[in-house]
Amino acid sequence: MWQAMRPQQLQQPQQQRLAEEAMTAATNSNAAQPGEAPPKQVALAMDRLGHAARFIADIRIGADRLLEALFVSAQPHQSTKPLHLFHKEEASMRQHLQDLRSVGRQLEESGVLNESLRSRSNSWGLHMPLVCPDGAVVAYAWKRQLAGQAGASAVDRTRLALKAFTDQKRRFFPHLDDGLDDQSSESAPKKHSGPQVQMENHQEELIEYKTLSDVLINLEKEMPHLKIFTYERLGWLKRASSLPSSANDPSMETSKEHNFLSSSKLRPGGATAVAAEKVAVIELLCPSIFRAIVSLHPAGSMEPDSIAFFSPDEPIRRGLKLSVDNSDLQNWDGIPTGGSYIHARGFSVYHVFRHITEHAAMALQYFLGIRAETALHSLLHWICSYQTLFIKACSKCERLLSMDKKSALLLPPVYRPYRQFSSIQHLSSVKNTSSELSQAYHVGCFSEEA
Amino acid sequence: MGFALAAQPRKHREQPNPDRSLAVRGEHQRCQRGPVEGHSHLLQTLHPRSLVSPFPSFCFLKFYGWSSIRGSLYKKLPLTEQSQAAELPRDFLGISVPEQPNKYYFVIRGQRIVLEADSSIQTLMEKLQSYKTRVALHFDGFQYQLGDFQLRVGKVVPTHAENLRGIVMEVEYLPISSIEKARQVMEQFLDIWKEAVSKRSLPGHFLHIEPHFAEYGLTENYTSQHTAVQYATVMAQLIATVQAVQSGRI
Repeated sequence: MWQAMRPQQLQQPQQQRLAEEAMTAATNSNAAQPGEAPPKQVALAMDRLGHAARFIADIRIGADRLLEALFVSAQPHQSTKPLHLFHKEEASMRQHLQDLRSVGRQLEESGVLNESLRSRSNSWGLHMPLVCPDGAVVAYAWKRQLAGQAGASAVDRTRLALKAFTDQKRRFFPHLDDGLDDQSSESAPKKHSGPQVQMENHQEELIEYKTLSDVLINLEKEMPHLKIFTYERLGWLKRASSLPSSANDPSMETSKEHNFLSSSKLRPGGATAVAAEKVAVIELLCPSIFRAIVSLHPAGSMEPDSIAFFSPDEPIRRGLKLSVDNSDLQNWDGIPTGGSYIHARGFSVYHVFRHITEHAAMALQYFLGIRAETALHSLLHWICSYQTLFIKACSKCERLLSMDKKSALLLPPVYRPYRQFSSIQHLSSVKNTSSELSQAYHVGCFSEEA
Repeated sequence: MGFALAAQPRKHREQPNPDRSLAVRGEHQRCQRGPVEGHSHLLQTLHPRSLVSPFPSFCFLKFYGWSSIRGSLYKKLPLTEQSQAAELPRDFLGISVPEQPNKYYFVIRGQRIVLEADSSIQTLMEKLQSYKTRVALHFDGFQYQLGDFQLRVGKVVPTHAENLRGIVMEVEYLPISSIEKARQVMEQFLDIWKEAVSKRSLPGHFLHIEPHFAEYGLTENYTSQHTAVQYATVMAQLIATVQAVQSGRI
């Protein structure tokens, strides 16, 4: 077991470091490859960044497999199978790390991870793609994509970077584009006769909600007490910084205004189409219960990118640091002042909402994996199942609060199952008083088969 | 970040004075006649820390001492104009809470009024001399955090005396501020806590007195005014109990 532990521990910091290297700006500069025209260099660099992202993902999977092998070997009655697995994984991990190192070196040499080449004279106006400290990739130095704030996990960043690369590649280097167009074309709705599987039936109906406005208007109709707001990327940052400290009066006026404006924006019409294209953040406010922020990428599309839950009262402004200097109204316990941490990649200061955010990230990936076109619709409806957050007892242990052993916290049921989640089922259960279909679980009571 | 902190055991910053707690115990036994009554948050036990010890110590994150809440009972001084006396309340309670250092709250329980004023109103009252403080109490203790729950456990001591009047425990569920939505969560928490405490057979028990916020015209969302009303209720109950005991004794 000792031998098993050490390589894994070694690899974890290594993996971290390489991830950092590959994704953050280095300070040294190197000369570019001579003899290649700038567009080609940029294309190569994009390719390599894509490779790097894939290697990082492979490494993460490898780490998972290693952990699995360890777990399996911890079970009784195991033969040499886990050991064999382990050796295999170790070999492939080393290979991945080697590959990543070489790609990183290539990238550094071609000037991707630093800003040294911005002042090159023969660049034809094209600069090498720049990887910013927070992981956002700028294909051209004069256009910054707001890819999200720091704090995203490496997988998030990788996926985001990859998406950004493919978008840019598609737009600026169409001749390099091969085979990626299949995903964007919609499959025609299938026709069924006779008994129909409920899931397929459900997917057919969801295809009707083709645009963002459709989805949101539909949601507004079905959940009247839920408040839905949409923002452009920068618009959300402004709003988050000015979020009120309490749910009381002055704020509700402005938010009502905003709701009206945004819903009028989404109504079909000439001027509104432009606004809907820029929508990058959706805020779902369930009054007094939660505030959920969903980010879309690219802006105006229907692809949710990340999601986070917060308390409706965040950011709090009460609670003074008990220092002599009362003029410094800093919150105690290091709770951040100001709302700038409230965004789709941020984390709430409250444990219950943190747990929900983590669970929601997995649900998001699940919905995207099942069917990307309806992911947003499913996700938003799934979020609505959290209206019962502080009220509904756990479907397994029948209690509201339960001590989570791992984190030693008392939490209400924060998990809502997302597999086999169908918004049709959910709606019908919301209207019924006996909501057997909408279930809730504590962290400890939740099992993946549910 | 939050998880890591909660997992670390923290040492209490101040150790209770063992002599003092002995003296307190003695006095309690003298003062008490029968089963102890009190507000839901008021528990006459030996030491505040024993209230949180049922939970494993690593669950709690203990902070610096909780800056005290002060409560005063204002009683009306006799006035010359008797005609006005009937309309004015005979006494009311004044509370200051640590979250709002610039404010002072008056609660008239009979007429269900809560008033939020600037803290300089205390000097104003002194100058006016229409009402005078008869009893001044100090709620002082420690603040604990169990995940999203915040507990404040403290002793109730008259400001210029040393004898313990009682022990107050305040529970707050931080994530939401709607009273209705958090009701079930709070009740369950108290159930869990009661169950844990009952296993330790500490003396005393507590009743639940509902502070009727709606009658005071307060909103659904919890604010410092609600805190003031709750502490006013506690204080009134405490004063009444002490007076009853004292008069019974005499």
